[in-house]
Amino acid sequence: MFYVSVFVQYMGQYMKTKLQYRADLFVEWLSDLMAQAVNLIFLLVVFSHTPLLHGWSRDEMLFIYGFFLVPYAVFAAFFNLWDFNERYIVQGEMDRVLTRPVHSLFQIILERMELESLLGAVPGLVIMVYVGSRLSLSFHWYDALMFILLVVGGVLIYAGIFISLATISFFADARTSIMPMMYNISSYGRYPVDIYHRVIRYILTWVLPFAFVGVYPASYFLRKEEWYGYAFFTPVVGALFFAIAVMLWNAGVRWYRGTGS
Amino acid sequence: MDKYMEMIRIRFLMMLAYRTNYYTGILIYAINIAAYYFLWSAVYGGRPSMQGMSLEQMTTYVAISWLARAFYFNNLDREIAMEIRDGKVAVELIRPYSYLGMKAVQGLGEGLFRLFFLSLPGLLVVSLFLPLQFPEHAKTWFAFALSLLFSFIIFSELNLLAGVVTFFTFRNEGLLRAKRFIIDLFSGLILPLSFYPDWAQRWMHYFPFQAISYIPSMIVTESFQGAAARDGLLMQAAWCIALLFPLGWLWRAAKRRLVVQGG
Amino acid sequence: MNIIEVEQLRKEFKVHRSRSGLVGAFRDLWTRRYTTVRAVDGISFAVKRGEIVGYIGENGAGKSTTIKMLTGILTPTSGRIVVNGMNPHQEREKFVRTIGVVFGQRSQLWWDIAVQESFRLLKKVYRVPDEQYDRHMGEVIEMLEIGSLLDKPVRKLSLGQRMRCELAAALIHNPPLLFLDEPTIGLDVLVKLNIRQFLKQLNERYGTTILLTTHDMSDIEALCERVIMLDEGKIIYDGSLETLKEKWGQGKRVAFTFAEATAAPPLQELTVGLDVVWKKGEQPNIWVAHVPSGGVPEVVSRVAARYPLQDIRIYEASTEEIVRHIYEEGAVHG
Repeated sequence: MFYVSVFVQYMGQYMKTKLQYRADLFVEWLSDLMAQAVNLIFLLVVFSHTPLLHGWSRDEMLFIYGFFLVPYAVFAAFFNLWDFNERYIVQGEMDRVLTRPVHSLFQIILERMELESLLGAVPGLVIMVYVGSRLSLSFHWYDALMFILLVVGGVLIYAGIFISLATISFFADARTSIMPMMYNISSYGRYPVDIYHRVIRYILTWVLPFAFVGVYPASYFLRKEEWYGYAFFTPVVGALFFAIAVMLWNAGVRWYRGTGS
Repeated sequence: MDKYMEMIRIRFLMMLAYRTNYYTGILIYAINIAAYYFLWSAVYGGRPSMQGMSLEQMTTYVAISWLARAFYFNNLDREIAMEIRDGKVAVELIRPYSYLGMKAVQGLGEGLFRLFFLSLPGLLVVSLFLPLQFPEHAKTWFAFALSLLFSFIIFSELNLLAGVVTFFTFRNEGLLRAKRFIIDLFSGLILPLSFYPDWAQRWMHYFPFQAISYIPSMIVTESFQGAAARDGLLMQAAWCIALLFPLGWLWRAAKRRLVVQGG
Repeated sequence: MNIIEVEQLRKEFKVHRSRSGLVGAFRDLWTRRYTTVRAVDGISFAVKRGEIVGYIGENGAGKSTTIKMLTGILTPTSGRIVVNGMNPHQEREKFVRTIGVVFGQRSQLWWDIAVQESFRLLKKVYRVPDEQYDRHMGEVIEMLEIGSLLDKPVRKLSLGQRMRCELAAALIHNPPLLFLDEPTIGLDVLVKLNIRQFLKQLNERYGTTILLTTHDMSDIEALCERVIMLDEGKIIYDGSLETLKEKWGQGKRVAFTFAEATAAPPLQELTVGLDVVWKKGEQPNIWVAHVPSGGVPEVVSRVAARYPLQDIRIYEASTEEIVRHIYEEGAVHG
């Protein structure tokens, strides 16, 4: 309960900050849109040369991409850890965080959230609705609940992986450029994993489970029943990876308090 | 000249200091290329060639364009924007060297480091298990090296341009991000330009972006040969020179502004 | 009652030593060499409720490391710490609600929003009830004279204004113990005076215990009855400022303005046996005598008996000079 009220408070401050830079908000949204356009153009261009990609049609691929944008947008809004090392370790803001009576990860998430990234989910929803109607996908009332569950699972997977990466900063003196590179890898979860060699498929499923943020959950809505097992597993994987990340984080903070910076 | 060499050396040392980056960098480059290889094999779906390129050529194209990117890519625009915001530029301007020149050399130092110690080992790893096709003629390699140097110059010129523009605008994160996406898309990094529809290809001819990635990658995969390769290099050279004009002009204007308004 | 108790506190860091040159950097990729640095080396002290203690030392003497251990940011390598009856690095969240921390070079406040918004947020974070907040913060705001700044965004404040707001922010939960790390760094004299006065009031009115590190000896003189002096991780002095001055004041300087110009030899002859050093002043008729403690009356009477004088001035060595001298000597003897 305490954490909820702190969250609401932070949210309010956040709004006030952001409203000061409305023009920025617009530009950021536009550049997010452009990033998405790059991926869309890639898909469209590729499919202008081939009707099927390993048995998946263009519209199905677009749907996967559309679905992916939703958990990604939520992740980007709340887990803005890109400059964690620079800001909190190198510049020493972590010390300040540790003198406050709230869990350190929770504080950092709240201090760094970028709610405007949620807008990135809008194109995703538009794509899904548009492509979904072209594919005449069926939609039941419980699919809405399923959607939320799968999105949350995806967000937790993303969060788990990127929190774990941020944790490296506690142990190594490195300014990591691993995060942007990991972002590249995460995009491979948006393609049907059966196109990859089994090693990569295994990695995308169990090691860096980005397939659970794209193709697996989306195939539930695409009614690809052979993937249902994986799709339903999404929230479990999410909870697991997030829990591991929080444990790593706590260990990282313990280490940090032992060594300083 | 010595001071510029020293700058390159310092950048090398700085980058070596981060060893986690070094190891993971190689690994992630390899994973990236492998994933692209499988993606493209699925796209080819058994066809021998698309748009005049075989799957091997395409894989090599992708591997080389990411390798090249490691070399030409730098964050000079952001660095300049940050130094302007923090007011460090004024200090830099009174140092006895050319500010933009020093920035470019720093970028070159980083680029050389990544090329030799990140991308080349990464490429070696990848070539162990992926069918890459490297040119046999020394001439092609020479043309590629030259082309890569042009890529670096053009990319850096664009970056410096974007950085200098931030003298005139106040908040510019969005501008810099947009520039990056445009370059990724239109330079041929993620897709060879020959895959785009004809009308788009015609437009892209009028922009410097294809000179950054498409031309060197086409040269090294020998998709451009003889006259085509020569024309590509000439085009790159022309852009290298052409971009100097707006850069010089904007930089003079920026310095004037700095003197008048104190930054 | 002791608010802080520290016994045999020690903190060691492993520091990576880089080899020189490019070849060295490559070797560092594979194997690294580490050295252990003892930042804090077996210190013990206790602070009573209501004390204001100055914690001084040169850069790298271990001040910040101690503060970080006392505030629970770092865990000690060995030794015992009890602050506010708790062990700072266990029960962290409960512990930090009982302390306030101000890092002079680091902001607690949110850059873009109005000061009072930051306060409201911190109030929530520290779970301060409305009624307590209104009463306590009303006073703090009044004492610091920041009422008119509350609705301004932090980025529009001057450094001095910001620092006053930082202090208020650290006191939102009315902590019985306040840590200040270089609170007056970079501030102008008037703001420094204002802040010192506030800290005194705070200490008197609420009995807040204050531990501060500073480079500015005038802070110490204005605020602290007690100083703890650190050098290379060890405490080299712990006691009252007065005693420090007495022991280390190295006597006084007496400036004589004579009616007429005079020279050194007769003066030296006059004070022979008193261990006095004479130095020439700014004018030919001004001479300055460096006199050991306790010797001033004798010197003055001898000189005054012999020469017609226009003026006599007596200077004490400043705390700053004393401290500098101690560091040059390396330790406090006796």
